[in-house]
Amino acid sequence: MSDQLQQVINKQNSALIGDENKMDDVVQLVGFIVGEEEFAIPILSIQEIIKPISCTRVPQTPTYILGVFNLRGSVIPLIDLRARFGLTPQKHGDETRFIVMKSGDDVAGFVIDRLTEAIRMPKRDIGPAPETVSEAETMIDGVGKQSDRIVTILKVHKLLERNF
Amino acid sequence: MDEFEEILQDFLVESFELIEQLDQDLVELETRPDDLELLNRIFRVAHTIKGASSFLNFDTLTHLTHHMENILNLARHGDIIIDAGIMDVILESIDLMKALLVRIRDTRSDGGLDVSACVVRLDAAVNGEAPVVAAEAPSAAPEPVAVVETPEEEADYSGMSDAEVEAEIERLIAIKNAEAVAKRTGGTPTASVDEEEPDYSGMSDAEVEAEIERLITIKNAEAAAKRANQSSESAAVSTPAPVAAPAVEPTPTPTPTPTPAPAAQAAPVAKPAAPRPVAAKEDADAKGASVEQTIRVDVKRLDHLMNLIGELVLGKNRLIKINDDVEERYEGEAFLEELNQVVSIVSLVTTDLQIAVMKTRMLPIGKVFNKFPRMIRDLSRELNKKIELDISGEDTELDKSIVEEIGDPLVHIIRNSCDHGIETGDVRLANGKEEGGTIQLKAYHEGNHIVIQIIDDGKGLDTDMLKSKAMEKGLITEKEADGMSDKEAYGLIFRPGFSTAAQVTSVSGRGVGMDVVKTNIEKLNGMIDIDSELGQGTSMKLKIPLTLAIIQALLVGVQEEYYAIPLASVLETVRISKDEIYTVENRSVMRLRDEVLSLVHIGDIFEVERVFDNSEHAYVVVLGLAESKIGLIVDTLIGQEEIVIKSLGEYLKGIEGIAGATIRGDGGVTLIVDVAALMQMAKSVKSTVGDENSAGKKLGTKNSASDYCVMVVDDSKTDRTIMRKSLESMGITLVEAVDGVEAMNILKQGDHFFDAMLIDIEMPRMDGYTLAGEIKKYNKYKNLPLIAVTSRTGKADRMRGVESGMVEYITKPYSPDYLMNVVKRNIKFNEGL
Repeated sequence: MSDQLQQVINKQNSALIGDENKMDDVVQLVGFIVGEEEFAIPILSIQEIIKPISCTRVPQTPTYILGVFNLRGSVIPLIDLRARFGLTPQKHGDETRFIVMKSGDDVAGFVIDRLTEAIRMPKRDIGPAPETVSEAETMIDGVGKQSDRIVTILKVHKLLERNF
Repeated sequence: MDEFEEILQDFLVESFELIEQLDQDLVELETRPDDLELLNRIFRVAHTIKGASSFLNFDTLTHLTHHMENILNLARHGDIIIDAGIMDVILESIDLMKALLVRIRDTRSDGGLDVSACVVRLDAAVNGEAPVVAAEAPSAAPEPVAVVETPEEEADYSGMSDAEVEAEIERLIAIKNAEAVAKRTGGTPTASVDEEEPDYSGMSDAEVEAEIERLITIKNAEAAAKRANQSSESAAVSTPAPVAAPAVEPTPTPTPTPTPAPAAQAAPVAKPAAPRPVAAKEDADAKGASVEQTIRVDVKRLDHLMNLIGELVLGKNRLIKINDDVEERYEGEAFLEELNQVVSIVSLVTTDLQIAVMKTRMLPIGKVFNKFPRMIRDLSRELNKKIELDISGEDTELDKSIVEEIGDPLVHIIRNSCDHGIETGDVRLANGKEEGGTIQLKAYHEGNHIVIQIIDDGKGLDTDMLKSKAMEKGLITEKEADGMSDKEAYGLIFRPGFSTAAQVTSVSGRGVGMDVVKTNIEKLNGMIDIDSELGQGTSMKLKIPLTLAIIQALLVGVQEEYYAIPLASVLETVRISKDEIYTVENRSVMRLRDEVLSLVHIGDIFEVERVFDNSEHAYVVVLGLAESKIGLIVDTLIGQEEIVIKSLGEYLKGIEGIAGATIRGDGGVTLIVDVAALMQMAKSVKSTVGDENSAGKKLGTKNSASDYCVMVVDDSKTDRTIMRKSLESMGITLVEAVDGVEAMNILKQGDHFFDAMLIDIEMPRMDGYTLAGEIKKYNKYKNLPLIAVTSRTGKADRMRGVESGMVEYITKPYSPDYLMNVVKRNIKFNEGL
């Protein structure tokens, strides 16, 4: 009996330890939809998520730059991810959000179609970016596999890089 | 502080700033060797440092930069191509320039570093020879002066802390002492060491050593005294360890093997002693000044304060806007007065606060003017002319950041006046003038600007000569020259590469100086106005805004976009009728009094889609910057507002024509026009000023009844159906919206082009009055007929309707025919068919 008990305790302990090990290797992401696909970015690179507000067009910029908007006194560029990914632009709906991302000193707002959820994903579930895209150019950091779907994880610093 | 010392400090701060930029530019240049703008910039740095160092008497530095300038000038004109070899030499010379500047900072003298080897290589590069391999170390150069110093030692000292330096001094002294003793005991008889004026060349090695030792002791004592003094003085933040450095200098010189001739060794030792009296005087001055009732504040803190004030001003603007809105909505309510009071007090205090903070950042322009008397004296000697400088208004104050920027341009203008303006004595006498020329330097306030005027009584600008020179250099065509006014011809002197000097001297003639002037003044949003009379003299007027961070701006509208134009650049605004605009060689121009002003539409510059514009009048904002003028056509003038400049951030920086953004009272972002860039862009933009009428007509063409489109806005389904039924027989297109917000959205989508709108007044979310007000904010809907359909019959309601932009007021219930007639009348139904 006591052996059995011991076994159970051992099992539980090892399970706990295992959990802790896993904890270290979990990345926290925020998932969102642009077009048909689900994307995700690390939660720590998000400054805030806001509902759409009006923005001012800036001339001489590519069409995916919608302009600049006022975020509590700071002037921040607004980038439409649909247009950035080559999809047809769409009117802002009820679920449209601006995700304000930051990387170092760079800050920009990105328009997404809708948010999905905060995702905790073990690192081992994340595969590398498809090899068809060149390493330097790609905005894709990796592909996260979940039980029922695939999430494309984006490089925030690449999104915030000026490319015009 | 001593005057010379103050100038020197400015020179050093400026030079190090320039060099910092230079490094980046050079790296860029290697990847883009054809970039003329970049080359020009690098060239200007060399030129500016040369100019300043020559008048501060740093001959070695001047010598080096002069040769650098030569090679860069050739590259700039495309005479040589910068390849890796030449780049090596240039980079080497820049490193040497840096070393010299560090040395000047530490020792107040540029002696002791050998530049000749580098100069030889620079010249070789100029002549197209393969540059001598850099392995030839500077120490191998033939010049005997101070070859003894090794560069590594140099670097070591500059990087040391005070304590380290002291330790090093002590160590060196100890070595020296030991050596000296050893030598003396070695048998060489001791000569009169305490001789008053020692003849170094006649001394033996040992004697020299002893002399050095004596000097070191003196120096040490002095240094210690000075250090004590300096620590009590809270100043001198900018120069790291200026105290310890001079003490260090004499010590390293004798360390190497005593092989060089004693003369060569002794010379550098004696040199650092020269600035000593200056230092002593400085100490005395510092003591005298300590009674002043001032506190030294870090500029960063002031900048931070200024930023906070900026935010406050934005808040104030917003408050005023909200106050206006509230006033409109709750007219006659008692609490309004209270609110009004609070708002006006806050706005008043904010304005005062802003002025107060601005004042703390103000410096008298005398700080800049002070260095000119010396410069004029040196220049007049160099050029062999008699020139007098007459300064007035040196107490005039302006923002610190502007004081820093204004120095350079003034140096170049004054050098120009001395070199090209003022004639030599005999020429002046022959022309019936006094032998000595006069340059007047004036500063005074004019509204929100400071005006700096430089007037010389020299030979004046000869427009014909300017034009022919410019044609010679290929800057303008003959045709352009013929069409130029005098003012435009004067403006030629600001073109890069333009020079009237027959040969390049160390004073001027390369055609950079005035380019620097223009660039810097434009950076400050300033204007330059030149007046000249041949044979009588030239007057140059620089008009500069008092401060940079918070500015007055003119807000203009084009379609539904707004832009802010710095008021400093706005000369005037005029309302003209469209037929006053002429087209000359594909460019739009207008006649403004006796001038011909070229015009550009703001929509063409900023790619604004012009949907609808049938007004017969246009507003022209006349912009002036530096010496040029342009007319900017806008749709509407909104008004004047105080704005705070915010950057667009890293991602969007460097957008052509946009200087930044500001946040308006309504919380929206408005872009600020960069007038200098706009003027550049205007030259290449294709004008569409004349085209818009035809475009407007095309949109308005109706071929069948269904081309007419009317929007019905009503929250009641029944009412919408009644209206639809009434209008159905006309065959026009009807679009329905349930409230103001939806109506706005439909309008914004732009899927339909509406000829009229039927609007109910009582609606959830956004009522009819608000909707009408919103619609009328857009220029393109200015002529869209809005018809109120409502059961409110009061006179006040009707009045509000008219105020918010409604053209008709139909009260429920109405007959279908009546409604149809009103609609027909307003959309001019069938008139066009």
